[in-house]
Amino acid sequence: MVKIALEALASCSGCEISILDLHEDLVKLLDQAEIVYAPIIMDVKEVPEDIDIAIVSGSVRNAENKERLEELREKSKYLIAYGTCACYGGITGMADLYTSEEVTSRTYTDNPSTEPAELPNEVVPELLSIVHPAADFTFIDGFIPGCPPKEQLTHDILIPLINDEAPDVPKKSVCADCQREMEHVEFDKIHRRIEGDPDPGKCFLSQGYVCLGSVTLGRCGALCTSAGIPCHGCGGPALDVLREPSHDIYNGVIKRISHLSKMPEKDVEKQLYDIGHVIYGFVIGSTTMEDKQVSLIPQLVKK
Amino acid sequence: MKNIEISPVSRIEGHAKITVQVDDSGNVADAHFHVMEIRGFEKFLEGAAVEEAPRITPRICGICQTAHHLAAAKATDMVFGLEVPETAKKLRELMLLGQYIHSHSLHFYFLGAPDLVLGPESDPALRNVVGILKSNPDLAMMAIKTRKIGQMITGVVGGKPISPVTAIPGGQSRGITSEQQADLLAQSKEAITLIEQGVEVAKPLFEQYAEAIQSLGPVESHFGGITKGGTIEFYDGPAKIIDKSGNQVYEFAAADYLDYIEEKVQPWSYLKFPYLKQIGFPDGNYRVGPLARLNVIDTIPTEKAGALYGEYKDKYGVAQNALLYHYARLIELMYAAERAVQLLEDDSITGTDLRQHLSEPLMTKDEAKESSETRRGVGMIEATRGILIHDYETDAAGFINRANLIVSTGQNNLSMDIGVRETAKQMIHGEDVAEGLKNQLEMIVRAYDPCLSCATHAIDGSSPLEVDIYDSEGQLLKKHLL
Repeated sequence: MVKIALEALASCSGCEISILDLHEDLVKLLDQAEIVYAPIIMDVKEVPEDIDIAIVSGSVRNAENKERLEELREKSKYLIAYGTCACYGGITGMADLYTSEEVTSRTYTDNPSTEPAELPNEVVPELLSIVHPAADFTFIDGFIPGCPPKEQLTHDILIPLINDEAPDVPKKSVCADCQREMEHVEFDKIHRRIEGDPDPGKCFLSQGYVCLGSVTLGRCGALCTSAGIPCHGCGGPALDVLREPSHDIYNGVIKRISHLSKMPEKDVEKQLYDIGHVIYGFVIGSTTMEDKQVSLIPQLVKK
Repeated sequence: MKNIEISPVSRIEGHAKITVQVDDSGNVADAHFHVMEIRGFEKFLEGAAVEEAPRITPRICGICQTAHHLAAAKATDMVFGLEVPETAKKLRELMLLGQYIHSHSLHFYFLGAPDLVLGPESDPALRNVVGILKSNPDLAMMAIKTRKIGQMITGVVGGKPISPVTAIPGGQSRGITSEQQADLLAQSKEAITLIEQGVEVAKPLFEQYAEAIQSLGPVESHFGGITKGGTIEFYDGPAKIIDKSGNQVYEFAAADYLDYIEEKVQPWSYLKFPYLKQIGFPDGNYRVGPLARLNVIDTIPTEKAGALYGEYKDKYGVAQNALLYHYARLIELMYAAERAVQLLEDDSITGTDLRQHLSEPLMTKDEAKESSETRRGVGMIEATRGILIHDYETDAAGFINRANLIVSTGQNNLSMDIGVRETAKQMIHGEDVAEGLKNQLEMIVRAYDPCLSCATHAIDGSSPLEVDIYDSEGQLLKKHLL
């Protein structure tokens, strides 16, 4: 039996839920694999030795997250960073837009429903100065981005891994799965996502909406765009964005809008709004993205 | 003085620890429920275009993401002054019912039931859903199938089963087709049958554990829940607060919550303690969630859940016992499936009037800087674990200046803490504590189905892993960082 461990670091537990969303398939999987550690569903309190596959979700936000990650590395043969938080810092990484003092002050001293009080100051929490993806601290054998990864993908990856085979994973962007039609339309205005009434058959970018489908890894089946909502980039950067130093999420989107609309790139840039939340919402904590010469992340992050 | 530690508290959502301090004569000096994980949503929502909030906030919690999605969407409706069309409202409610079916069955069968089905003192390695799968495969498969139906409903209506996307300011981005309606209707009817089977298994357990229900986690509190004229209501309505005896003390709309709810910061915990502002802390302690909702309402207007509710109410009245959260959860699970059938049998659910649009263009960021106008939107909803409030103040262009979130689990924080402490005092004598006894302390916490990712959305820091040691006079002797 293959021994599997599940651990959520600083996260929402959605990744663990996505594994439970294998539903009946999870039962079949349990014929071949045994879950030996997973606090969300079982009472084993210590991380056991000799784990075959450890699946870690969430970002590393504090010393305890870091210790737990390192303990799992030590005790497991194969360590998977599962979900966009573990791979790129995820949405929790947006905390890097503000200082920790600003955040705690908002909670305890400057909050409309809270009696102003000192921070729970009898403990000095060992807060890491920024949000980290798992690979900042330890060797990761496999990355499965997605917020959360789709259950079918988990199925297609876990089964081969359990059988000691290499999984075959899709490598295309969200656009590859999107049914909307991309076309050239001249326009001179970028819309907020709530403005107007987007045509359900046409590419969001072609209509002047910021959609990250072309720069996002597409293992989700383009669910948001088919639900009438532009891609928010929760799957993490597309492979070409990761591989090419001059290609970034931000300039990728600008180039694409400019190309489709004939708006000069400078005009597109001027009209883009809320870049931290709309463009980089899921990757601000990622050193990979931050190190790019063309990335705006270093400017957005005040450290 | 010896410190007993239970870490991590398992089969809950998020990270927590229980500590118990035993003095030299073997009596419990103090005990606390500590919460261990923290992020920072209230702060990093600042600067966001408010229409992004329904997409950002579901990541507060991967279990009750739909509730955050909808509370945020309702707040954005108010920010832009948009009226949600009837079909869109029904779709939103249906999406929320999918959330209830998934979350309540997850908690009841996967997280809570192993203590009852296998016994609180059973082998900890098997005391989980996999153990149930081995000892009672039919029950486990029923649990899996029930939860799957909930996720399917949310997936179809919300676009995705986890972190749905279709609720937007003023309505829904997409409707459902009549084929989807027929399919979900059949699934919801199947859910009712499955839940009936679950009730058959569960009811005798509440008889079997009658003593534990009486003794574990004692606390008396006020209760809060959303209701419309006494009827059970998850999606929309004012909050009603009742006292320990069931008498109404307040009723308020979402936008007025600041007049009624305040949060206390305690030095030993990073998780805040909401209480009723006009009564004060700690007397204004109130609980939310299934137990509270069934105490607050007078009727459940569906056949099977209504009958279960009547029976439960006759037996327990205004229920204070924490373990009855499980019973209340099961009754609500039945209501959620029955209500889903009601909504899906109504053909207006496939309507195409889904969204009210903005009547005038939005200001640009620069124009908003020149304007002193601000906007505010407050969305209140019954999340599975209780009242959830999203409050956003924005500039004139709709970019968030300040966000405040009152999440469900925080409102049960004081009661969980009291319950653990009082039970430890009654049950623990001496330093050696059997595993089964420790598990009973965890069972108190589990009863509330705490969602600690939600509860700790606000704080960006490390864990409050502190143990305080007090002498018998209550003087603080020593603090330990764990």
